[in-house]
Formats: sequence, structure tokens, C-alpha cells
Amino acid sequence: MDRNHLKRQVDFMKRSFLDQGYLDEQFIQLEELQDDDNPNFVEEIVTLFFNDSARLLQNIEQALVSGPIDFAKLDNYMHQFKGSSSSIGAKRVKDECTRFKEYCTAGNAEGCFRTFVQVKQEHATLRTKLETYFQLARQAGPPGTSRGQVR
Amino acid sequence: MELQSDVADTQQQMEQQHFHVLAVDDSPFERKLLERLLRECACKVTCVESGDKALEYLNQLDTYQSNSADSTASLSSSQSPQQEGLKINLIITDYSMPGMSGYDLLKTVKGSSSSWKDIPVVVISSENVPSRISMCLQEGAEEFLLKPLKLSDLKNLQPHLLKSLVHYNKDTKCSTDTGNNNNNDNVVKMNNNVISKRIAMSPEPSERRPKPKELAVV
Repeated sequence: MDRNHLKRQVDFMKRSFLDQGYLDEQFIQLEELQDDDNPNFVEEIVTLFFNDSARLLQNIEQALVSGPIDFAKLDNYMHQFKGSSSSIGAKRVKDECTRFKEYCTAGNAEGCFRTFVQVKQEHATLRTKLETYFQLARQAGPPGTSRGQVR
Repeated sequence: MELQSDVADTQQQMEQQHFHVLAVDDSPFERKLLERLLRECACKVTCVESGDKALEYLNQLDTYQSNSADSTASLSSSQSPQQEGLKINLIITDYSMPGMSGYDLLKTVKGSSSSWKDIPVVVISSENVPSRISMCLQEGAEEFLLKPLKLSDLKNLQPHLLKSLVHYNKDTKCSTDTGNNNNNDNVVKMNNNVISKRIAMSPEPSERRPKPKELAVV
């Protein structure tokens, strides 16, 4: 398979993520930290993010369904989650987090429930998209791989 | 001329220097990112997950250094603890952490009677809370950075790293632009006025922040 064609596909995919607001500039910053010494940095850190955030989402879910809502606790969990979402450039996820935090601050349980569904959805969508993206990127090989070279 | 060779010495030292940064954050994700960013700035990085662990580490270093202190009697630059690369040149800590917060860590470090108080501390947070920022700056933080961090944010920390170098050198005959006491005072004064560069309302203009020199710290 033509490696250059794959690379173009990877680029196209990334640009569409940016255009559709799934990712923002911060993701590009992370890509710039990937080099020969750190060839898998982006995938590694994104994986870390999804592991970390899955745990946080579970905590939030628990806090939402078990007994009277502790808005301060919720806000704290969401704060962490939002922070790392923004650090990897997960724009849509981050935006939903902001909405969630607003409901939290307002003590609006129903709003929190509704937004949380959105948060989980965006999180899952991004996860799938990035999995596909990294698969493709791995096939395409690192930048600078010469045409026809099989790895 | 003596002055010139001293300047050259320091410059050479700075070029060879790998600054050692202690990064404190409870999130493994954030630690990995911090570590990568700092290594991109040619720093050695030690990551710890809490303020308590940070203090523990600093204690360990002190113990190590006092045990091997005998060889540093002559104070030539090749034997200074600085060159061993163990001494911490900068602490960068997240603000919100369970248990000891970044602010608590800052207070402890700056309030210590040992050499810890001279270690520059940078606080990072994902929240832009002016009162929190001025609290940290007042307590002695060099900078308060907002997440998400960019490489340029960390590259801009070079003046603080250099300041820590100069401090260790002040006992030797070195004198550079930032080496004498007057300039150190100016740096402190500037830091008292500089708020985070991305804060919405800045009471003072931030152009007095020294432009980081592109030193070849390899």
C-alpha cells in the first residue's frame, strides 16, 4: 500500500478532527513533542488520558447516582477531568465539561445528569476516532519514512 | 582579563548544564506531559505524585549531599553540587492536589530555613483565579502558569533556572549580567509585579519579564 497515500489520509483525518472541533491546537502541540526519541509520545499520552479519565468518569457517575449529590465533590472530579481533556486538546469533551461545571455550580442536579450523558458520549466518540487515527498513523509509518519501505 | 574568563566559565557551565526540575502532580497523565515538555527544554526531570513525596525527595537529596560534602571544600565549579546534576534548580507543581496542595508545598519550601527557600517554584493550574494567583506569587512563586501548558511556557522559565544557577555561583568570582546582588533584587521585584501571563486582568504590564535568552543548554 502506498505509504504516502496513507500519510495523506492521516493528515486529512487530523484536519477533519480539527475542523469539526473534536480536537484543538493543543493536540498539535503534543504532536510536535513526538520525535525520533519519543516516537509514540502522542499515542502513549492519549492512552494515559483515556485510562485516567475512565476512572474519573466512573467516580463522577458514582457521585451522581449514590445518594444526595455532593456538588463540591462532583465539581472537583470534573475539574480534573476537564483539565486533562484540555491538555490533550479534546475540545468537544472540554466544552461539555464546562457545561457540566456550570450546572454543578448552580446546584442543578438534572442539568448535571443530562450534561454528563453528553460528556460520556463525546469521550467515547473521541476515543473511537483517535483509535482509528493511531491505527492509520502506525500503518503510515513515522514521517520521513521513504516510499516503499516496509516496517 | 579575569572578568571575561569568569563570564566565559559561567557561560560554558550554563551551556553544559542540565537543569534538574522537580515536577509535582497527582495525575500520571500530567506528569508524563510535564516530563516530556521539560525534557524538550533540556532539563533533567524527577516526577513525584504529591507534595509530601516532593519534600521527601528534597530531604533525600540533602542527606546525600551532606554525606558527600567533603569533596566540595574547594568550591571549584567542577565539584559544586550543581554539576552533579542532583541539586534541584526548579520546582514545578500543580496547584490542586489532594492532601498537600501546590500552595502548601510552596509555603513549606519558601518558609524553610535551609537552601530550599532559594529554589524557584512555579505553580500551574487549570483555573484562572486571580486571588489564587496573587496568593502564590506573594508566597514567593516565580510564576503561575495556566494549563494547558505549551512548550513556550516552559521555555520561558529559563531565566528562573539561570537565576538558580547564579545563586549557587555567587560565592565564586563569577559575575554576569544577572550575577550581582543588585540585579537579583530587580528580578525579585519584577516577579512581585508579574502576574500569570494569561490572566484576564493584569494590574501591571508584563513586558518587564526578562526575555529568555536562547542559550544552548544541551
